[in-house]
Amino acid sequence: MAEAISVEGIVREALPYAQYRVEIDGPRQVIAHTPGGTGRNFVRVLIGDRVRLELSPKDLGRGRIVAVVR
Amino acid sequence: MRAANALVAEVLAELATMVAPGVTTQDLDQAAEKLVREGGAEPAFKGYRGYPSTLCASVNDQVVHGIPSTRALNEGDIISLDMGVKLNGFYGDSAVTVPVGKVSEEASALLRVTREALEKGIAQVRLGGRVSDIGHAIQLHVEAHGFSVVREFVGHGIGSALHEEPQIANYGEPGRGPRLAEGMTLAIEPMVNIGRPAVKVLADGWTAVTKDGSLSAHFEHTVAVTKTGPLVLTRRGVTAPAA
Repeated sequence: MAEAISVEGIVREALPYAQYRVEIDGPRQVIAHTPGGTGRNFVRVLIGDRVRLELSPKDLGRGRIVAVVR
Repeated sequence: MRAANALVAEVLAELATMVAPGVTTQDLDQAAEKLVREGGAEPAFKGYRGYPSTLCASVNDQVVHGIPSTRALNEGDIISLDMGVKLNGFYGDSAVTVPVGKVSEEASALLRVTREALEKGIAQVRLGGRVSDIGHAIQLHVEAHGFSVVREFVGHGIGSALHEEPQIANYGEPGRGPRLAEGMTLAIEPMVNIGRPAVKVLADGWTAVTKDGSLSAHFEHTVAVTKTGPLVLTRRGVTAPAA
């Protein structure tokens, strides 16, 4: 069974609604949200952090931040 | 690992002989579950992140993760059979794409090239090699024949969990990623489209189809890294069936 691809990238910009613009290898940019969703920001993400993303197979321009790599 | 993967190989070979016009994907799924349980194992996909079935049966433009249904196969279809089992704590995982009756020349070419691409990828498995060497070899072969490689889904390490590190993309530059070490077990699985590489996932949350509706094929083997090169655990006859 194939696994949905995940990638690492650098957070470049914080956007409204707990979303972040993340630059991934390429360089490509994707919009990612934190796992808790808006207002439940348990994972503190700062600009410049290296994060691990799961990309949505439905839209490779969007993803979910699953971990902060420090 | 040997026993789990040998069982997967046997069951898939049996299922492939059942594929014929009029057979439903549900029939295949039921047969798969029966054979897996008779082999003393459990289906690995059933219940995995809520997946409902033993088998992934992906017909024609379905790339992977097709959920078995009452859909009957037609002459000229191609169907990917992807199945995993858990036996004594270890996972086996493999897939083949087979023609239903007589298929178009283009479809046969797709099946042949995808199978060859998997072999090219496996040939890159050697001590000290890098994970991305595998995907690079696959991409070169596929694109040389004018087909495209699916990006959204990747192969994976496999062992005491179905999906382990590393991810094994079927494209990219060589010489990247972790080094291959003795004893690693990898599920290598190119997914190849006749048309564009883009795929989308249907509303059921699983079934991935090509965006342009073109045919897609999928072959997968679980391979162990050994001193003497790749050992394909899901190739029939490589390892003895479960005793």
